[in-house]
Amino acid sequence: MSTNGIVLDALGDWTRRQIFDALKNGPHSVGELAARVPVSRPAVSQHLRVLKDAGLVVDRKDGARRIYSVDPNGLAGIRAYFDSFWDEALGRFAAAAREERE
Amino acid sequence: MSTRDVGLTESRSSGGTGFAGAGAGAVIEAIRKTVLVDFTPEEAFDLFTARIASWWPVRTHSYGGENVKDLVLEPRVGGRFYEVTAEGEQDWGTVLAWEPPTRLLLDWQIGEASGTEVEVTFSPEGPGSRVVLEHRGFSAVDPRDRYESGWDLVLAPFVGTASKKS
Repeated sequence: MSTNGIVLDALGDWTRRQIFDALKNGPHSVGELAARVPVSRPAVSQHLRVLKDAGLVVDRKDGARRIYSVDPNGLAGIRAYFDSFWDEALGRFAAAAREERE
Repeated sequence: MSTRDVGLTESRSSGGTGFAGAGAGAVIEAIRKTVLVDFTPEEAFDLFTARIASWWPVRTHSYGGENVKDLVLEPRVGGRFYEVTAEGEQDWGTVLAWEPPTRLLLDWQIGEASGTEVEVTFSPEGPGSRVVLEHRGFSAVDPRDRYESGWDLVLAPFVGTASKKS
């Protein structure tokens, strides 16, 4: 659960979500990302670090540049979170139905 | 498309095997849940939609947490799905299909906006109903490129609570 907490915190920030959304369309360098969001390059780097720590993005070296892309394992973490969430929600739904029947 | 496969399996657990392939474009298997209730489909559909605030775990799964006064799902295609707090309203998603008492399709517009959608179907089973929920579209590509109408994720409402738990 804590892993997913980190994932969700990482995506709780609007700028980070913009960055993450941009990466979902394909890999980008920090410079390319900075051109898409209204924050500085150092700020973009900082957001990328948070996304990377949360397991949502991975990076690789490409000459002098570093290229970031979405880590499918991170998305699997989000899926796992919802998998457990729907168990809880539907459990409550079924319980509400049972209570009304009794 | 694998996410549209029919077949009533209980939820497949995620455990890292939920996606096929790697890199951008990887599509993660849909979440599928089935629950049986002692309600007619009409009653179950009504409980799921009109009375969603009565069972949704809003304290732990919403933007406002304990400050949420109501959770509203407008009963029509294009209807809003939103929470109400003293500060105002916060959208969660949009109704993409409204077909009482058999089918409901929602998109999440919350949080991470990676465009997932939730489909809930209601069918008679014995004296009650079978309710099947499918949450799909977890993918590394922008689903707006794949779906005619996108459905975004309900992540932000979970952000605060998920971190509190950790």
